[in-house]
Amino acid sequence: MSVTPSWIGLVAHLHITARAFLPMRAMEAIELVAGEGILGDRYRIGTEEGFYSPKPEPGRQVTLFEEEALEAIRRDHGIELRPEEHRRNVTTRGVPLTHLVGRRFRLGDCLLEATRLSIPCRHIEEILEKPVFDPMINRSGLNCRILEGGTVRLGDPIRPV
Amino acid sequence: MRHIRLALRAAEPAGPGIRLLTLMDPDGWPLPRWRPGAHIDLHLPGGLTRAYSLCGDPAEAECWRIAVKREPAGRGGSAWLHDALAVGEELPASLPRCTFPLAEGASRHIFLAGGIGVTPFLAMAAALARSGAEHHLHLLHRGPPPLPTQLAALQGRVTLHDTLTGRPGLAALLGPPTPGTEAYCCGPPGLIEAFLAAWPADQARVEHFTPPPLAPLPGARPFTLVLAKSGRSLDLPAGAPLLPALHSLGAEVESSCEGGICGACRVRWLEGPPLHRDRILRPEERETHLMACVAGCAGSRLVLDL
Repeated sequence: MSVTPSWIGLVAHLHITARAFLPMRAMEAIELVAGEGILGDRYRIGTEEGFYSPKPEPGRQVTLFEEEALEAIRRDHGIELRPEEHRRNVTTRGVPLTHLVGRRFRLGDCLLEATRLSIPCRHIEEILEKPVFDPMINRSGLNCRILEGGTVRLGDPIRPV
Repeated sequence: MRHIRLALRAAEPAGPGIRLLTLMDPDGWPLPRWRPGAHIDLHLPGGLTRAYSLCGDPAEAECWRIAVKREPAGRGGSAWLHDALAVGEELPASLPRCTFPLAEGASRHIFLAGGIGVTPFLAMAAALARSGAEHHLHLLHRGPPPLPTQLAALQGRVTLHDTLTGRPGLAALLGPPTPGTEAYCCGPPGLIEAFLAAWPADQARVEHFTPPPLAPLPGARPFTLVLAKSGRSLDLPAGAPLLPALHSLGAEVESSCEGGICGACRVRWLEGPPLHRDRILRPEERETHLMACVAGCAGSRLVLDL
């Protein structure tokens, strides 16, 4: 018997970057590789170019961030943080990311397992010249591993399994 | 290490003893944005770090330009950038930091440069040419000027003053400090002193070739960092960051957020007292532990259980 999910969200924005600190590039679609990461992104296992590259993290193959958190940061702090500035790969709409730690869910056709909440990095304030570190505490997105890969496109549904 | 990798894409002579370097991401990915007046640190072999103002157009997203003047009496950084760094080679650099920003509210900008101190003003002029704000560069130089091609591109918004034919009077050169006018000076200490004597401080901005030391933490004092287990120690100035010192002593301390919230660099302390600036340790935890990324020392010795 199928269970009706309590929420269904969607992919609002997609971004990757080749290396730590470099600007994020907006994408129409990204390619997820199971057990590794996103083609061309800094945190793909085996080709790490991220700030934490000496310490590969299998649970951070793809990262997500709530579009609603951008709105909350604007509302609470008057800071305009754009989707390419939070530095996570997938900006979601209508997905309760903090509820998903330790659970599996579908991102388009891909299957992800959420490993832990992201924490902000102090260096983001240097990169952006915006005081966003404090505002991002406890709403800085979700780290996931990729169980089933594939192509993720803008507008794809995100749903629980 | 917090750095990005840059590849040298082009190099050309640009005036007496000056090499103009064009730096890009190794794959041509866009580089971080920067504001005119920003500089980067280049990390050179042998642990040398050298700061250079970005002198290209901030609107160029994919390359940064710096002008390196050969300093024969220096410790070898500029010589390496002139003689050893070849096109195609890579080197690590910091993110751009802007300690010399344009005054946003000003309607008129006067730039006073001494020699190679002209570099930040080339970036500022490029930005102001787009915005339409009134600006003019006065360059004091001895003999042939630096960066002649770039100066010619300023199309008359520059006046050259060759000091071999006499030094101009700064008050006459700068004119009256009318409201809305901001004046800027970058150059050797003598020029900066003369500038500040000739122009009101509340409409003045200056950039030294070498940055003054950072203000220490309130309550911080010079201290000796001691590692109890390895027995190694290091004398540090007031307010010195702990993480690089720990790494230089060979201590393996993890770090992640470097902002005092993630807990990666938690270390037990034995003697201090430390100055705590983290956001996660409870008061009782602070009696025994510190977060190395943000902590300082209020005593003369900081002994860690490492």
